Amino acid sequence: MLNIHRLFILIQFELIRIFKTKSGLIALSAFCAVWFILLYYMVSAATEIIFSDGFKIVASTLFGSLGLNALLKWPVAEFAIYWLVAVYSFPLFALFVTSDQTCSDKARGTLRFITLRATRSEILIGRFLGQFLIIVVLIFLTLMACIALAAARDGALLLPAIQQALVLFIELSILITPFIALMSFFNSILSSAKMSIVASILFYTIGALLIGFIQFRLNSGYFLDYLFPGTQISKVVSLEGLDFKHYLIPLLQTVVLLFVADKLLKRASI
Amino acid sequence: MSAINNHAGPLIQVENLSKSFNEHLALDNVSFSLDKGEPIALVGPNGAGKTTLFSILCGYLSPSNGSVKIAGFSAGHSSLFGRLAALPQDAQFDPRFTIAHQLTFYAQLQGFSRMNAQKEAHRTLELVGLADTLKAKPDELSHGMRKRVSIAQTLIGSPEIIMLDEATAGLDPINAREVRELVSTLSSDITFILSSHDLSELERLCSQVLYLEKGKLQQHQSLQNDSEHRYLTLRMKQPYDNFIELIQSLANVQKVEQTQKNEFVITTSTEASENDPLDLQILQLCHKQQWQYSQLTNGKTLENRLF
Repeated sequence: MLNIHRLFILIQFELIRIFKTKSGLIALSAFCAVWFILLYYMVSAATEIIFSDGFKIVASTLFGSLGLNALLKWPVAEFAIYWLVAVYSFPLFALFVTSDQTCSDKARGTLRFITLRATRSEILIGRFLGQFLIIVVLIFLTLMACIALAAARDGALLLPAIQQALVLFIELSILITPFIALMSFFNSILSSAKMSIVASILFYTIGALLIGFIQFRLNSGYFLDYLFPGTQISKVVSLEGLDFKHYLIPLLQTVVLLFVADKLLKRASI
Repeated sequence: MSAINNHAGPLIQVENLSKSFNEHLALDNVSFSLDKGEPIALVGPNGAGKTTLFSILCGYLSPSNGSVKIAGFSAGHSSLFGRLAALPQDAQFDPRFTIAHQLTFYAQLQGFSRMNAQKEAHRTLELVGLADTLKAKPDELSHGMRKRVSIAQTLIGSPEIIMLDEATAGLDPINAREVRELVSTLSSDITFILSSHDLSELERLCSQVLYLEKGKLQQHQSLQNDSEHRYLTLRMKQPYDNFIELIQSLANVQKVEQTQKNEFVITTSTEASENDPLDLQILQLCHKQQWQYSQLTNGKTLENRLF
């Protein structure tokens, strides 16, 4: 049974770690700088090009071939480009940012102080939710910046931009959860953030090759694709005809990864 | 009143505890029970299994076999939060946060409000003489200061058991003495379990000793005096001719045993010394023979009891 008070304190500590420490603020500044460049030079410029009269046919052909024609119909064009960048970059970003949930505390022995005051399940879930909130706040900030960008181009776009931002906020928040849970899982068995990142790279490369090989040889086992967080991205990127299953996959992946991580962390020597 | 105070059985009950790391058996079928009260020493050579036992009692490691009950709860159980505190060997604070921030965080986890947690951080640092380091980060402190801050985190709230693994290792003599005084002062309310290689330190503080060797519990004894015999430990500055014979000739001396170079344990019966105390006889003999002694201790040293 999780104690809500302790969970709240653990989440609060995670938020302070990124928003109030020097190292956290440096990371945050780097994130803002990257997104400023992405929004200003990529989203803004690409919006102008893609939706210009001269490029409309090319864009339609290009997006159509990728199955993304629906994005061209979005009332706020900036969000179409933003979404294409965000849907692939945030999962990757989440993997890197959340790569140290319990690793360094375990290696340093700090976890020994904490486990005398909170259960391992509370630490795991508290850290996961803390990291989730951090990424969600960052998603929110980028969406705010994108709203500002669209409204600066055309004031009338403010309301549709807010509506579109709300949809993307929910989509991105669901999308990133299994990636953070994947890092919770690697953190429960490994003792450094670097190792967790290496493990996730191997998981997505060698793991994917291995599963591809199994599927090729057996001509079955396609359900194994669901082991990989983000497996549904290519299907949801157009945001068209989405059903409950598309949301269920990342949420189920998250629950399973956290469940396994919890079991492993409880058995781990710290 | 807390669950530990309400608990009727032994404070710590360990039964047939074993822990192996691959092929290496770190703890081998260890059983003992400890009651609430005076500090308890955990002694043994390097690799004896002290830290492994500590880690299992704190819930950091799972035993391979056997069971551990602390106040009726399994090790690491949430009912022990705030009641069992520990100074784990080599555990470090997070270098990114100030000491105040981390102690406040721990106090909050123990149920303190933010404001009270801040006061608690200050109080515990004051107890270890480091109130002025509240705003410092761990890397700004010396090894000894970090150790004292780690001791401060054990004092948050009102723990009933504090386990200190090598608490004074690496501390200068003054700070080591302050830690010993702190343990001594608090030991009326808190049951301390201390692991150390400094036997004289444990001797001063503890009333019970657990002696581990090669993973086995070799001895579990009380440091109270033997009911039939009384011992005096006499340490001389240099060897003297006929020393043992002359001491042996004193009234009521049963045995004189040399334990180390220039150190002797003198055994007498408990009934014998009322009218002509042996310690006075020894001092008079030393004076008469012009022997230089460096120390006369009532009882056996812990080292002599164990080895």
